[in-house]
Parts: sequence; structure tokens; C-alpha cells
Amino acid sequence: MDSEVATQTDYDVMVIGSGIGGMESSIKLADMGHKVLLVEKEASVGGRMILLSKVFPTLDCASCISGPKMSSTINHPNITTKNYSEVLGIERDALGLFHAKVRENPTFVDWAACTGCAKCEVACSVAVPDQFNYNLVARRAAYIAFPQAVPKKAVIQRAGTSPCIDTCPAGIKAHGYVSLIRSGKYEEAFQLILEATPLVGTLGRACYAPCESECSRGDLEAAIPIRRLKRFVADRHYDELGDAGIERPAPNGKSVAIVGSGPAGLTAAWQLARIGYQVRILEAEAQAGGFLRHALPTYRLPQEVVEQDIANVTGIGVEIVTSTTVNDLEALKAEGYDAVLLATGTPLATSLGVPGEESDGVLTGLDYLRQVSLGEAPDLTGKRVVIVGGGNVAMDTARTARRLGALEVKVAYRRGREEMPAHVAEVDDAEKEGVNFEFLVAPVSVVAGAGGKVEGLRCQKMVLGQPDASGRRRPEPVAGSEFVIPCEAVFSAIGMAPDTTPFKGLTGVANGSRITVDPTTLQTEVPYLFAAGDVTSGASDITRAVGAGRRAAFSIDNFIQGRSLGIFPALDDLLGVVDKTEVMARQTNYSDREPIVAGTTFSPAPSTFGELEPAMTEAEARAGAGGCMDCGVCSECQECVKACPADAINFDQREKTTDFTVGAVVVSTGYKLFAADLKPEYGYGTYANVITGTQMDRLLAPTRPFNTILRPGDGKVPDRIAYVSCTGSRDKTSGNPLCSKVCCMYSVKQNQLIMGSLPLADVTMHYMDIRAAGKRYNEFYEQSKDMGATYIKGRVAKITEKDNGDLILRYEDIENGGQIVEAEYDLVVLAVGIQPNRDVEKLFTGEKLGLDEYFYVAEPDGDLDPGRTDIPGVFVAGTSAGAKDIVDTILHAGAAVAQVAAHLEAAHIHDVKTMQITAEVPA
Amino acid sequence: MSTTLRDPREIIREEPMMHSPILWALRAGPLTVPEIAEHIGEPANEVLFWVMGMRRYGHVVEVEDPTDEGYFRYASVHQEATS
Repeated sequence: MDSEVATQTDYDVMVIGSGIGGMESSIKLADMGHKVLLVEKEASVGGRMILLSKVFPTLDCASCISGPKMSSTINHPNITTKNYSEVLGIERDALGLFHAKVRENPTFVDWAACTGCAKCEVACSVAVPDQFNYNLVARRAAYIAFPQAVPKKAVIQRAGTSPCIDTCPAGIKAHGYVSLIRSGKYEEAFQLILEATPLVGTLGRACYAPCESECSRGDLEAAIPIRRLKRFVADRHYDELGDAGIERPAPNGKSVAIVGSGPAGLTAAWQLARIGYQVRILEAEAQAGGFLRHALPTYRLPQEVVEQDIANVTGIGVEIVTSTTVNDLEALKAEGYDAVLLATGTPLATSLGVPGEESDGVLTGLDYLRQVSLGEAPDLTGKRVVIVGGGNVAMDTARTARRLGALEVKVAYRRGREEMPAHVAEVDDAEKEGVNFEFLVAPVSVVAGAGGKVEGLRCQKMVLGQPDASGRRRPEPVAGSEFVIPCEAVFSAIGMAPDTTPFKGLTGVANGSRITVDPTTLQTEVPYLFAAGDVTSGASDITRAVGAGRRAAFSIDNFIQGRSLGIFPALDDLLGVVDKTEVMARQTNYSDREPIVAGTTFSPAPSTFGELEPAMTEAEARAGAGGCMDCGVCSECQECVKACPADAINFDQREKTTDFTVGAVVVSTGYKLFAADLKPEYGYGTYANVITGTQMDRLLAPTRPFNTILRPGDGKVPDRIAYVSCTGSRDKTSGNPLCSKVCCMYSVKQNQLIMGSLPLADVTMHYMDIRAAGKRYNEFYEQSKDMGATYIKGRVAKITEKDNGDLILRYEDIENGGQIVEAEYDLVVLAVGIQPNRDVEKLFTGEKLGLDEYFYVAEPDGDLDPGRTDIPGVFVAGTSAGAKDIVDTILHAGAAVAQVAAHLEAAHIHDVKTMQITAEVPA
Repeated sequence: MSTTLRDPREIIREEPMMHSPILWALRAGPLTVPEIAEHIGEPANEVLFWVMGMRRYGHVVEVEDPTDEGYFRYASVHQEATS
């Protein structure tokens, strides 16, 4: 059919895979003038050949041959390479053109700036197996693929956001500081937390650690003790260094007033001051800290820790003015501030609302805790105390009352234990300290005696009905169930609310007792006014307030600098959280670790306010951090950012998917190696001194992972080395009846190289039969024998290990009477076979790429028409179509190139940008 | 020698944590992998992973020829630099 269709393609050809077959195809097609798009999933082109030591039979250096081709590929004017990219799908249209969707994965490194210096790699705190050394050695999460990589650019491997970071309301990089502690970089860990908040010591004690709830390690023996690790670095920092170690930045000439010095206000002040703002905090109380100082008991959060954290803020120039109440925000703004942040929290306790509440001995829990912090608490010696409420303030009040001599402390809560809003640990700890609980009771009135002193709390019993708006079951009174709990003091802890005084006069700002803000920017209807923390949300927790303070500071900076207000990337633009199932699947087995537990000792009759939870020792901290599973791979510790002299690290990069139209496709996706552990009788993965042939090739390469050929079990230079051929090939039991064509010759090559490197070593190869069917291949084999290698015909039945790591091979010696023989070696190399890369099955949508009976890409007429597949316009080059050595791969790529050129010629596809298809398009 | 090998990923993940004990073991002079393993009480095959990772990133370096038993000795680069 002749047709004339005006259309456009982006490239003449797309080549998938940049091994030697893909590079050869690309270069030849580009040399012919075709525009080539080469897609490679790794960060460097080169495939597997560049990882080899030498090539057989010439023993030429693999890098010396491959390197120039890699360079030509990258630099050819007609080749566009997409490294670190994947083809998501290819569809052929009615005209025979192909529409490919290609995802460029983020490298998190600006390659235009990266110089390949590898300083990021050296600084990185996460070690992972190096796939380019077949897991013989560690690389880092920040890495350059291998020394000869082209392009020689770094990549930061990120599988997503680690669950601990993803779940932190303050956006603290928990994985980052855990990995730094694991590396012994304690001060760096402290500084990383400081990036988010000055309240390092506080959060190390008083955070409820949602990170630990999401920790993947929790699915094994126990979560990483993330919160206590934070305390560890804070304590260490304050003990050794004192101040934050942050220099005062140059002033930017702008000023911000912050009302309230709780966690939101302090964090916002810290963030703003660090970028040059003059910040003044106005605090109603005589001391700064808000609830941190006045509501949290010192056995949980010592005052000196709060003071140390606050000193971080004042140390960079933030002024905190105490005993100053702000009732008029407009007047405050009129003093000349560029913006105002309201962060006054929820200082007002909700009253009980029952008769007798004015009696002597009735107090709110908040007031009581505040009085305790100021040393003005009423004497409870010998008294019975009832605390009404089920939240954290109720628990703090109850435990504090226990410490101040109360004879009996009872918590009365209108729902059941399961419904308590207090954190489970707080309830459990209160119980351990002798606090009693009366569940499903609600106060009716305070019973007062002569002189108006409290004598009891009249309650009625409740039952749980249907769930209310909060999702918790609604308590309903039981008629006629009233009773009195005898007591001398009643503390109400049933709720807290903001003080509306500062903002009630501003139009459109108040929302009941709270202040209304844009939840993303925290800006109010009054442009200069922002609000953060509990004053916007109602009572929540410290970590949320810290996150809100960070967000507010970001928005205030944008507002003052005249930039648009939008999302806060540190909280709103994280990579997707890593799937824990994927994390767990990275390992075949997990060893048990001893959990690092706090070991807090509780007294049933506590009497002091000293800090309860013991500090971690350094050994505990290292061991605790050592269990981290590096869920996101990169920990976001930021050490690479600090180390990079080119400022090339960019964590804001995101994947980019592009649609390309091409005239033809070359599949050159290579092969997979046989997984040697599928032959358990050979002990790979069980015996340390059994390795694969590809691993041995790395040990022989100039860029080897060890200093020489060493056996992995103990680092010994091996004297007796055995090869076992046909491991996973010519073997129906392992699902691969085909000969892999390369194993014999790469083994012979390695035999010779070993004898060159270790002249005293004995090298023995156990083989079925040597296949040396190539030019000079048999001569190469004979040469190896002449050099002293021993070749024993007979299948190895089993390998066992001795106590010293040596290995016993049991085999049939066919050429010597077929006797069963056992021989001892230092190191065994399994000459693993190659198998089809079945990823090709997912490449095409709409039609299936045909595979042969062994799952290699089928060449329907391979003998006469090599390289052509069963999809018109799709060609195959190299080992995607079957096992081949390098020579045959290059020849096959040449055949594919000729096929592609013929196809493009037939379709008249030449000029990629203004292409006219005027042809009979192959059906 | 143990016949129960831990997953290489798990061993390698611990490498940063093992720098200190290994460097501490090397404070008195170069040691072979089995000697380091004995000092720190960890399996030799795991110590090899850690030592080779440390070698790759410049923390330790091999000392000339192997021992008569066929083991190289490794020295702390940090110590070399300060001695």
C-alpha cells in the first residue's frame, strides 16, 4: 500500500541496552547517519563487558576494547543516550512507527555540574552491595558505577523516602541521623536534626516517635530506638560542645515578631534567624518554653534540657522577651515587623462544668503542672487525688501528684482504656507508678464539706454506645449509677483551648477558639499574620508543632521576600514512601538482633523528679543504629551535599517520563546470570569460599574489589582453586538445557590469568566436555594445559566445607576409570551459565514480542535473516537472542544493524524532524 | 568456619558501624583478616567484607607481601598518617 503521511519521529531508531551489542548497533547506525536513541538502565553505558578482566582468546584488556566504544557511544553526534532510564512500554501504530514511553530516573546529581570526583561516595553513610562487583564488596548509596564509567557521574540511589522520615510531622531526617550515628558521626547527626529544629534534646525525650511505629525493623525483633538515639546525640553535643555551633548569619534587614515560645515559635524563630532575619519572641510567662517548661514534668523532660535547646535559638541572635502579653497583633505589626507569627498554643484548660467546681481543692491539670514547674504547687501530702480525663496531661498530672506525696491518685475517665487519647506508654508508665484508673465514669458534681473544701467527686457510670464524630464510641450514662469517689483534690484534665485574646478583633481570622490559616502556608486572612501549632489545630503534640513552626518560617520568608507562597517541600514534596515489602525482600534471610531497650526503672511510690529514662551508652547507640535497614537506601544524611565541591547534589530531582516516536527498535537487553544458589549441592551462598566465574573475573580485573585474588571466607590467597563447569547450563534439572557457549572459554581464560597472578597456585577444572569452537579457542585451551592447569572430566556431585573453610569436591573421574574421588581446594569457582533476560517480555504493549522455546527473543528466520524478530521494525542484537560470546555478539549486532538500515530505507525514514513516510509500510 | 552465612546485604550494611572496632584492633599494627576477626569477635568472612569496604574508601591499606600462611596484613591509613 502506498501512502503519504506527514508525521514526525524523534529518532530513527531506539536501541535498548548499552552492552557491547547495543553500543555496536548504536555506533554503526549512527555512522550511517541515523539518529539513535539509546536507553540504558544503569548510570553508565558498557553493560557487562566493561566489568571483565580480559577477553578470550586474545587476553586483550576488556576495558581497553570496551572503553573507546563507550566513549564513542556517548559522544557520537547522532546518538542520544538516556542513562539511568527505563523503557516503560512500546506500542506500534498503524504506520509501523513505534511510540515508546521512557522514564528517566532521578540521579539526584546534576550531571552537568558533577566532575566525577567521588567525594560524595566517600562521605556517604550508607553501605550497600556493589552490583558491579557482583556483591563481593560494598559500595555506597552515593556512587559512581565503576572507575571506567561513561559518563563518569555520580548517582544517589534512592528507593523512596524511608518510612521513619515519611511519617515524621516535623520532617526530621531520622534515617539520616541514624545512619550517621551508625558511622560514629555523632555531631553530624546532631547538626542534621538542627536543620529541622533547635529542640534536639527535647524531642529526644518527649517526642512520641511515630517514626518508630513505622520502622521496618519493627516487623522483625523491634523498631530502631530512633528517639533515644536523638537524645544520645543531643546529650553528647551539649556535654562536649555546649552551643549549637552555628555562626550568626549576616542580617537581611527584615524582622519578624513571634508570639509564644513553645515548640512552634522556637522552631520558626530558629529557621528564620538562620537565614538572616531579626527575630523577637514575645512570651507571656516569665520563662520561655511554653508547655515544654510549664506542662511537661521534669522526670520526662528536665528543665536544663529545655534551656539548652532554647540556648540554640538565642545563640544565633533571637531575642526572647518574657512576661510580655500581646493582646493586639495589629499594634505589634505597627512596631515595624515585616511579619508576625502567632504560636501561643492552647494555654486555657477546659473546665469540668459541674456543680462545686469552685470548691477549695479543685484545679486544672495544666494549672497544677504550671505551679509545680514554678515551685508553687499545693501540698498533696496524704491526700487522695482524682484526675478527670484520659489524655497525656491527665497522665502527667497524675504522676506528678504521686511524686508530691498524694496518698492515692485515681484517674477517672468516661471511656475505656482502649479509647484513652493518652499514649499507651504514658498510661502504662502511670500504672507502674501506682496510679489507679476508674474507667467508664463521668463527673457529676464536686462534693464539698465545711469550709468549701473538696471531700469527693460524685460520678456516674457510663457505657459505650455508637461511635461519635471522632470515631470513638460515645459514652452514655447509666441511670441511677451515681457514686462518690472520696478525695481531697480534684484536677480536671479534659481539654485545652487557645486564648483568643490576641486575634479576636481581627476580621475573618477566628474560628471558634482557634485561628484560621491556610493549611499549606499557615497564612491567615491578614497577609502579614501567620499562625502555627496548637493555636491553629487544637492540642496536638510537640513534633507537629515543630513541623508547623518550620512550615510557617518557610512561608514567612517567601512572604517577606515577595515570592509566591506554596507547598513546603520539606514536608509536602517527599519521594513516595518505600514499600516495606520491597525492603524486606532485599534479603534472603535476617539474623536476630538484640533489641536495645531503655531499661527504665519505675517506682510504685515515686518521690523525685529526676529524669526517669536512662541515657544510652555509646555502645548501645551504635548497636541500636546498626539495625537500621536503610529502607530508602539513601538515608538523606546530607553528607554528600556537604562534601560535593561542585554543589551538584540535588535531592529535588524527580523522575521524568517522555514519549518518543521512533522508526525502529533494537532490543539489546543482554542476558541474566544463572543464580548459583539454585544448585544447593555446590554450596554457593552457604560456603563463603564458593564463588561464581563472574566474581572471579572481577577479582582478576585491574579494578578488582580486593587487593588481589583472595578467598572471601578469610582473605587467604588461595593455593588450590577448582572450577566447576556447566553450573546452570546444559542442565535440565536447573531449567536450562542449553550450553551457555562462554563458560568453558572464560574458565580457561581465568585459569591462565590465575596462573599468571598466582604462579604457585594449582588450578583444576572439572568439566563435562570442553567446548572450544571458535577461532583459536582450542589452541587457547591447549595453551592453558601447557601452562599447568589440570582438566578433569566428570561432573561434580557435591561440595562440602571443612572447619577451616577449605572445600571438598566429590566427583566422578571419568578418564581414570570412573572412580568417585574427593579432592580438597581452598576456593571453588562455579562457571555459571547465562540465561535469557525475560524483562523483554514487558517491553511491548499491544503485541507480544515472540520468544523461542527457551525464552530468548525469537528470530523466526534466524539462519537466513538474523536479527529480525516477529514484530516488523523490531530487531534483536546480541545475547537477547541467545548465548553468544563477545565476537558473536558484535557480529550479530552488525546483522541487526543491516536489518534496521534496510527497514528504514524501505520505510523512507531518514530525516527525523521532518520525516515524510512515503512508502509501503511493512504490515 | 560457620556454615551459616548471613545475607551479604546485612553484613555490608554494618560496615560503617565496624570501622571503629576494626581501626581499634589495628592500633597496634597491621593484622590479617583472621587476626582482626579474632580481635573483634566476628566471623572472618564478614570481616573481609568490612576490611575490603574500608580499603576501597581509604581507611585501611594492605601491607606488602602476604604471610607464609597466605594472608595479607592490613594497616590503618589514619594511623599511618599520624605516625
